[in-house]
Amino acid sequence: MFVNKNALLGHPMNAMLGGWRHPDPVPDALMELPMFCRFVVAAMLAAGLLAGDACAQANYPTKPVRMIVSFAVGGPTDLVARVVAAKLSESLGQQFVVENRPGAGGNIGADMVSKAAPDGYTLLMATVSTHATNPLLYKKIPYDPVTGFTPIGQVGITPIVLVVHPSLPVTDVKGLIELIKNNPGKYSYGSSGLGSILQLCGEHFRALAGGIDYVHVPYRGSAPMMNDLVAGQIPIAFDGTPSAMPQIEAKAIRVLATGTQTRARQLPDVPTLAELGFPSFDCYTWNAIFAPPKTPEPIVKKLNEAIQKLVDDPPTFKRLQELGIDPTPKQTPAMLEALVKAELAKWAPVAKATGVQLD
Amino acid sequence: MSELFSNLALGFSVAGTLNNLFFCFVGAMLGTLIGVLPGIGPLATLAMLLPITFQLPPEGALIMLAGIFYGAQYGGSTTSILINVPGESSSVVTALDGHAMAKQGRAGSALAIAAIGSFFAGCVATVLIAVAGPPLASIAQKFGAAEYFSLMVFGLVGAVVLASGSVIKAVSMIILGLLLGLVGLDVTSGQGRFTFGIPELSDGIGFVTVSLGLFGIAEIVTNLERASKHGRDEIAPVHSLMPTRQDMRESWPAILRGTFVGSLLGILPGGGAVLASFSAYTLEKKVAKDPSRFGKGAIEGVAGPESANNAAAQTSFIPMLTLGIPSNAVMALMIGAMMIQGITPGPQVMTKQPALFWGIVASMWIGNLMLVIINLPLVGMWIRLLRVPYEMLFPAIIVFCSIGIYSLNNSTTDVLFTAGFGLIGYLFVKLGFEAAPLLLGFVLGPLMEENLRRAMTISRGDPMTFIDRPISLGLLVASLALLAIVIAPSVRRTREAAFQEEG
Repeated sequence: MFVNKNALLGHPMNAMLGGWRHPDPVPDALMELPMFCRFVVAAMLAAGLLAGDACAQANYPTKPVRMIVSFAVGGPTDLVARVVAAKLSESLGQQFVVENRPGAGGNIGADMVSKAAPDGYTLLMATVSTHATNPLLYKKIPYDPVTGFTPIGQVGITPIVLVVHPSLPVTDVKGLIELIKNNPGKYSYGSSGLGSILQLCGEHFRALAGGIDYVHVPYRGSAPMMNDLVAGQIPIAFDGTPSAMPQIEAKAIRVLATGTQTRARQLPDVPTLAELGFPSFDCYTWNAIFAPPKTPEPIVKKLNEAIQKLVDDPPTFKRLQELGIDPTPKQTPAMLEALVKAELAKWAPVAKATGVQLD
Repeated sequence: MSELFSNLALGFSVAGTLNNLFFCFVGAMLGTLIGVLPGIGPLATLAMLLPITFQLPPEGALIMLAGIFYGAQYGGSTTSILINVPGESSSVVTALDGHAMAKQGRAGSALAIAAIGSFFAGCVATVLIAVAGPPLASIAQKFGAAEYFSLMVFGLVGAVVLASGSVIKAVSMIILGLLLGLVGLDVTSGQGRFTFGIPELSDGIGFVTVSLGLFGIAEIVTNLERASKHGRDEIAPVHSLMPTRQDMRESWPAILRGTFVGSLLGILPGGGAVLASFSAYTLEKKVAKDPSRFGKGAIEGVAGPESANNAAAQTSFIPMLTLGIPSNAVMALMIGAMMIQGITPGPQVMTKQPALFWGIVASMWIGNLMLVIINLPLVGMWIRLLRVPYEMLFPAIIVFCSIGIYSLNNSTTDVLFTAGFGLIGYLFVKLGFEAAPLLLGFVLGPLMEENLRRAMTISRGDPMTFIDRPISLGLLVASLALLAIVIAPSVRRTREAAFQEEG
């Protein structure tokens, strides 16, 4: 056979088979429980009760875990989730199955996890959209990004860069701002959609550069936007490094600055906007794993350790890097909670200034 | 030229290794299977197989994933022709004449022509990628929002031709399709339209949901009704598995035209196989001497769209391979698969990874050859489906449709909507409305609106942008000409002949 065991571990079909073979996880699990637990479980079963929480937690996971991706198959978040799920399946000995629940900008899947049972068997691969920008931009949001989840750990971040079409007669940010100021309303910038993080970066830049007059052009996703940028249909864009890097390397577009506080790994010679006189500019996307609210501490701890271990695994680390993710080591649940709060605070004024309200 | 041959030689040396031949075969075979199953598309399959490819060499991984995608275009026609349930979204129009042929006992011819047309188109499109990939990609880049809008206008005018019944009915179906296409959040304003507070509707209704409901489910309902009244539909005995000499004579110009249309639309980002098959069908009907044959088993109506969807599937690799920009979700996933392998997609793939680039190109030709070899003998097996009793066939189809629909978004709402569209489709059949113009309006409408508004935003509200840009102007002039042909009194008689109400 051409697939080795490791590869099969990440395969959802295998997970399903596993699930079928063990329709009821209790009997198998019983054998592996610590002595005390086994006694309690046996007693409870005898009493006609369900197995105690504490014992179920000690053994977690005993059945396949669903990792919800609230975006479409094949998108950047989906790819990250599949790499992470394959590794978690291996390290925790149960299948982590990626399940896509796209819709409403990621809110449907996030809401589903927020309302799922807090048993560690339903997790969310969250993004800056589900946990920072959507709650600020949607008129009605069915979940609370802070209290509606138990944070597990951050996986990594992806820097956003400011890029222009090479025909634009500018080579630095100062020149770009001057050009736009001298031609108010003439230039447009593309984003992956109304209310997307890319639009927020563009609007943040507009405000920090003194209210420059350039027009926002929303696309359905980053790929059609990049297509029009490379073709010169739109001259300016903010975009994540995964889709921008190939075009930068091919000189099809010109990079002017990086949006993060520190320089991007792939672009060590490109200055950050913070270096260029916009010290508060900090624009990136991130991926993190959340569980439903009130998930028991032992499960959180186990999952968090497994996620921290991802970064120590060279092939997984490399795969994430190839996808444009900078894996962030030593991430605790507390750090993730702080991140969500900080991101909400950072984007709130920008989101408000855009006037965007999504139904 | 000699460089091309040495490149191709390199490609075949990569694709021809035993391992890669095996991956190519696995991909083609899997593709055929998911193509046959209604609703289950290549995207979900590719995503499930992605973790397996981590352990494979990059060439093998991409050859297999590519095979699944174009293989699905072969399989998609099978159920369209045999049971009038489209196996893939790009095979919806194939059902119109393909199923009519099956009822006349010509299922074998229809299936064989679909495979032969697909093979021819696949070969031509592969040569196009090899010979003219980069220049074609840069031509496609000339297509901005204004050009797209004008192309959609042209398509919409052409949509009227799709109908074989009354023009009024066709136009009202197109408008209904446009309205259905508007459902969801507006891209430019973020306002919800016709969402009725259902979050699942905020991204709009899926094409597969509408097409499987209107064609597949409605077909089953009408069949059941007819069967309960008059017994099972008479299906003429199958006389031959292979196309006759006359079939071939009628098909080959359609295959050529379909390949041409498909290759063009496939390169355009957001174009794709669905538009290609619809356009090819429209074109066939327009150039036919006797358009009234369409919908009643015209073999050109199978040959054209089936060639077009395969050509488009193949040429949609061009922007991905030469620019690193995906033109559809499947290509986005392929780019992801490349990145995980440590290959930066983009213009440099051709120069930095010649073995990979030319290996994939060569594997496409090998894959197409395998597919035609797999599919032609299968014709004999598939047509036995026609003899499967309804009480076994229909529940099976419904189950597969439901699984397929559910697998798109893991959403039960989609399954319920498909059932709803099934009922609407049944009403349409009863009232003599045709679903094909609705589907075309459904595809074109949102694209047209989005690009109109994007073009106007970029031009700062100046409508002259549609006339100032030569490609856009050309398309608008062509639309006017087409409109004139439809309205002009001198051709009215032929049009009336074309649109005569049935029975």
